[in-house]
This record gives sequence, C-alpha cells and structure tokens, in this order.
Amino acid sequence: MSKGLSSKRWLWFSSISFGLVLLPLVLAVSAFWSYLGEAQWLAYLTDPFTWRVVWFSWWQAFLSTLISVSAALLVARALARRQTFLGRWLLLRCFSVALVVPSIIAVFGIILLHGKYGYFNQLWLILGGQPKSYIYGLTGILLAHVFFNLPLATRILLQRFEAVNAETWRLSSQLGMSSMDLWRHIEWPHIKVVLPQLLALVFALCFTSFAIVMTLGGGPKATTIEVAIFQAIRFDFDIAKAVYLSLLQMFFCGFILWVGLRLGKPIDMFVSLETSAKNMRPDTKARLGMASDILVLMLATLLVLLPLMAVVIAGINKAWVDVLLDLRLWNAFSNSLWVALSSALLSLLMAAGLLLAQRHWYRRHRTASLAVEWMGSVILVVPPLVLATGLFIGLSPHVNVFTINLYIVVLVNALMGLPYMLRVLSVAYLNIASDYQQLCSSLGVQGWYRLKHVEWPILRKPIGLALALVAAMSAGDLGVVALFGSPDIQTLPLLMYQRLGSYQSDAAGVTAVVLLGLCLVIFVVLERLLGGSGD
Amino acid sequence: MINFKQVDCRLGDQQFCFNLQLPLGQVVAIMGPSGSGKSTLLNLLAGFIQPQTTRSEIFLDQQRLDQLEPAQRPVTSLFQEHNLFAHMTVFNNLALGIRPSLKLTADEIAQVEAALSQVGLTGLGERLPKQLSGGQRQRVALGRALVRRKPLLLLDEPFNALDPALRQEMAALVKSLSQQHQLTVLLVTHEPKDALELAETVVFIHQGKVYWQGPSKDFLQQKDQYIKAYLGQS
Repeated sequence: MSKGLSSKRWLWFSSISFGLVLLPLVLAVSAFWSYLGEAQWLAYLTDPFTWRVVWFSWWQAFLSTLISVSAALLVARALARRQTFLGRWLLLRCFSVALVVPSIIAVFGIILLHGKYGYFNQLWLILGGQPKSYIYGLTGILLAHVFFNLPLATRILLQRFEAVNAETWRLSSQLGMSSMDLWRHIEWPHIKVVLPQLLALVFALCFTSFAIVMTLGGGPKATTIEVAIFQAIRFDFDIAKAVYLSLLQMFFCGFILWVGLRLGKPIDMFVSLETSAKNMRPDTKARLGMASDILVLMLATLLVLLPLMAVVIAGINKAWVDVLLDLRLWNAFSNSLWVALSSALLSLLMAAGLLLAQRHWYRRHRTASLAVEWMGSVILVVPPLVLATGLFIGLSPHVNVFTINLYIVVLVNALMGLPYMLRVLSVAYLNIASDYQQLCSSLGVQGWYRLKHVEWPILRKPIGLALALVAAMSAGDLGVVALFGSPDIQTLPLLMYQRLGSYQSDAAGVTAVVLLGLCLVIFVVLERLLGGSGD
Repeated sequence: MINFKQVDCRLGDQQFCFNLQLPLGQVVAIMGPSGSGKSTLLNLLAGFIQPQTTRSEIFLDQQRLDQLEPAQRPVTSLFQEHNLFAHMTVFNNLALGIRPSLKLTADEIAQVEAALSQVGLTGLGERLPKQLSGGQRQRVALGRALVRRKPLLLLDEPFNALDPALRQEMAALVKSLSQQHQLTVLLVTHEPKDALELAETVVFIHQGKVYWQGPSKDFLQQKDQYIKAYLGQS
C-alpha cells in the first residue's frame, strides 16, 4: 500500500531504535533486580529520613506546580488580552529562552539576585534592613522551579486562549459579556481540558528535578528522592539504598504519568506563539484591567530577565582572560558540544525509528502502534537519574564506568529528549501520511523523490526545532553527568557547579556566560540552519 | 433606514468604502464575489471592525451606530458556525442573549421557552449543542436572536453548512420570523435562489464598494458584465 518511508523494508531501522530505547532500560532494571535481595526493606521503610525525603519531594513539587500554573494563568490571560502590548515580544522571547536555559545557570542567576550578598539583599541593606539568607531550601527551589515552569505553562495556556475562535469573541462582545462572564463562559471551558495534563507535566518535572534541588536544597530538610539517590551513590556508597529509592521514584513517576494520561486532553507544547491573529475581546478597554495586565506582564518579564541579566553582568569581570585561557574550560566546552550534538542526533534516530514503526502499524495493528508510542515515554517513568543509577550499577562490574561516562550521558540525554522529539515530530509526520498518502501514490512519487520533495520540506522545520531543543537541553544538563563526573572528564555545567561550590564567583560568572552562550547558539543555529528561515 | 455614509475600512491590502441606504423591515440579500467585502459590511454594522476615518458614519434612522460598543448596537449576528457555546445547554445558550450572568427572572425564563417553541425546539432546552443536528444548532442561534429583540438581524452565510432541504426550511423560518417580529434582515449569501425567494432587495458588492442595489427580481436579469460574471452567465 504505502511506498514511502513507511514501507516494510525500513522496519529493520526501527528495530535498532527499539534496541537503543529498551536495552538501557532492561539493563537498569535487571541491575536493580539483582540488588533486591540485599536491600534491608524494613530498615528503609522505617527510616524517618526516607519519609522526610518522600514528603519533601511531593510537597515542593505540589507548591511549585501550584505557583507556576496559577501564575501562568494570570500571565497567559494578560497576554491574551494585550495582543498589541509593546513588551509582548520581549516577554515571549524571554519565555522561549527559558526553555533552553541550563538549570545551573538559572540557579546561579537566582543566587546572584537573592543570595545573602545578592542584589535584593544589597537593596534591602541600603533601605536599612539586615541581610537575610532565604534561598537555600524550599524558597530557592520554588523560585527556580517557577523560573522554568511558568514560561512553559504560560505557552501551553496561551495557546488555549488563542484557540478560541473569532466568532466566539464577536458573539461575546455583541452579548456584552463582562471580563468575569468571558472567564466563566469562554476561557475556563477552554482551559480546563488541558489543565489536568498540564498540572501533571509540571508536577512531574518538579518532582524529578535534580540539579536545582541539589544546588539550592540538599540539606536534610530539603532533599528530594532524586538527590537522595545521588547522595546514596556518591557519598554513602550505599547501592542498595539507591536501588530502593530508585524503585520508589519509578513507582511515583509511573503513578503521576498514569493520573495525567487518564485525565483531560493532550497538550501541544511547541507551537509558535508570536504570529497569532488579533482577536476582538470586549474586555480590553477597562483601565483597571489594563493596569493589572501590564503589571503582571512586567513582573513575568522580570522574573526571567533579571536572573539572566545578573548572570551576564557577573560574567563581565577581570577573571575572564584567565578563565578563557584555561584549557579546562575548552576541554569542558568541547565535551559539552559533543554531548549536545550526539544526544540530539541519537534522539532523532530513535524518534525516526519509532515513528516509522508507529506509522507502519497505525492502521494494521493498533496495539503495536500504541506500544511504540509508549516506548518513547519510558524516560518519564524511569527518570534520567534513576536510569543512570541503574546503568551505573549494572555496568560497573564489567567496565570502568568513568571512562565511558560521556557515552552514557549521551544515551540518557537522548532518551530524555525523546518525548520532546516525538511530540514535535509526530504530528507533522503522521499528517504527511493522512494528507499526501493517496496523492503520492496516485502520482507515483515514491522512495527518494518522496523523501526529497514531500517529506523533507514539510519535516525540516519540526526536525530543526526538535534537534535544537534536545541539543540545547543536553548541553546544559547537570544530572547524569554529576553522577558519572570525574575530574578528568568535565562538561561546562559540571565545571560551573564546581566553581559555584568552591566560591570562585568570578570564574563561575565567566563559565556561566560561556555555557549560556553555547546553549543559545546551538539552539539558534540548529533551528535556523535545518529549519530554514521560511514562514 | 440603515445608512452607511462613506464608511472606509482597510483590511490587509484591501480598501473598502461603503455608501448604502436600506429600508427597514425587509430581507436584504448581500451578494458578491469572495473577498469583495460582504462580511466586512456586516462586521462594520455590528461593530466588530472599526471604520478607518472620522468622516465615516453609520446610522439606524436618527441613531448613530458607529461610535457604539458592539453590545450597545441594535443588532444580532448569526455566523456560519460557532454561534453556540459547546459546553452550555440550549436553554443557557438562549439565556445568554438576555443576560450573560444567566440569572433570569421567571418572566425571562418564559421568554426563552417561548423563543424555543417559535424556532421549533420545544423540549430540547436541556440538550447540549453536540446532541443537535447542524440545522437545529442554527435554530438555537435564531432563538437567541429572538430573545435579544434587536431590530437588525445579520446573517453571514448561515445556511452554508446545511443540505438543500434543511436550507429551505431554515430560509422559510427566517422569513416568517422576520415578518412576525418586523426584523430587518441582512443576509450574506452566494445562492441566487435565496435572493429570489427570501429577499426583497439585493445589494451587489464588488471590489469593496456597493456596485448595484435593487429589487431582487431585477438582479438576475442584469446585463452588467461583473454581475453576469458573478452569476456565471457570461
């Protein structure tokens, strides 16, 4: 039937993808399995430390989600109402940047602003107050989580506001609806369908967040399960405890995913928001609403912009010559670049194989197609650090894991990027099948020509975006790398983390700017180069 | 009388300028090629888009409309689709026309029930729009127009999504309701049959201007090249 890329002779390629996705998983789980006997279950279960960690994991994720999503509702509504607001472009740009800012950079920016010697405390000092230390612990974790998740949630919600059709807005203005009526009759019904999955997504991201909790929390009062796993391996050398905590984490993540998938409508994350049709709403003229919207938008812009500006300012210091001449920086730089590009490419290969199989089975074998779809989300149930822990345990008897650490980092990062990759690519890819399948068959456009004239022009934009996203995220990743990091093999985020930890603030500032620059350049170059400049 | 005086408007590359007088209490068919400005004319009247220049004026008899908010204008619009709120019952969709807060008095509830029966939907008040056929949904929208009691009814290709039999039925309903309630109906349509059967007057729009206006029976006999091209007679 189909003569395009979905034809049967390409399925061997899919099996490579299956292997790449499933093998690490099997290895990790079997490593856990072999340790099950050694775990002192009762001791762990009754250990108050475990319960404190579990409680804190849920509590910080709950608060982060609540704050991020409710603030995002305000910001998205303000954006929807102020379609001609001058700062709109800047805000949307900042929010896009926040998607690819490495977590260690955000943490650094937040420390520069809120730390004991940060800008806010200095301002407070001028006003006559005493400097306060408030960011280490829950406050700092919440600040960092809001920094990342407010922009993400806003993008998703804004799309829903903009999905309201023009007729409905016209109707509402003819019926003389107040702002409250609009919320009740139009906006809330549109929002509430995506809310369960959005809440689950943000919750899962905060629940499994590692670098932020490690840097801003970490004390006995502010440790999450992820960080506790890390500490069990790196500090306590208690593998059995790490296994126990990993299983606990997998159970919780599976539960969150299961709840999220059962409720509401799937969300679409990566739609461009900057060119939207102007809709006519009847509630844009009230003075009070206008003032409050602009206040909300300015605060949201500052939330993202101030930490980034603080980082850039911190990077301008006298240490820059020394730091830039230091070979360790360039060693880390080239490692990070290599990790970024390899992870993105590997992730794309995995995604391509899965999508080929999914399309092949789409009509013939619903269950198989669904199973393939699920395979891409494995990393959501087995979070990166848990997977890395499994690989660490499973591989260490056979090889020196510290010599192959970058390969593992690449593999785990590619798997981490896979859900994003699939989200971006699958709609476009499966649409080609439904939109052009018959046309291509009837014209006899197939094989190479179909790839060149049909698939590539349509897919290059999503491919560019997906590669850019995964590469930038991998370049800034500080999770897996921390677990496997050794003094010999550095990446930029790891170097940054060490400099932050040893109070080399000038060197940290320069390193931060280099890392931020690398992520942004990778993102822009890949997106533009592959995606083309087109519409 | 509805009076458009030099109503200028610009949308993208297109420039519109409407001068038009229409008597009240009639059904008027607005016809013309796609993109000529038929919907724009209705949108200007409803206040969904603003005239571009200050010399533009729109009157209903002595009342100046163009400076009013859409909700203050004496018009009800009916679109091709999306006239209803999908999550709301038929009854509430009508009730919105009286008060967006949906808090109705006993008297107003009776008005809604009466309107439902006039559009032939008695007993379906508790249904959701998705449980209705396309034709029934447009009837709900017509019902809301009745409870709003505005003298002008603007229909933008409201029957396009309906099959021929339903179309005829809806057209007949619009005709009888407009006579009963002395409504002035402006109907954008591509169907010469609608113009002949429903409308007393035809307004032909061409390239952003009112090009021809007259009794509907004369419209189909026109020898003008643009009208003939539009009707496919050339």
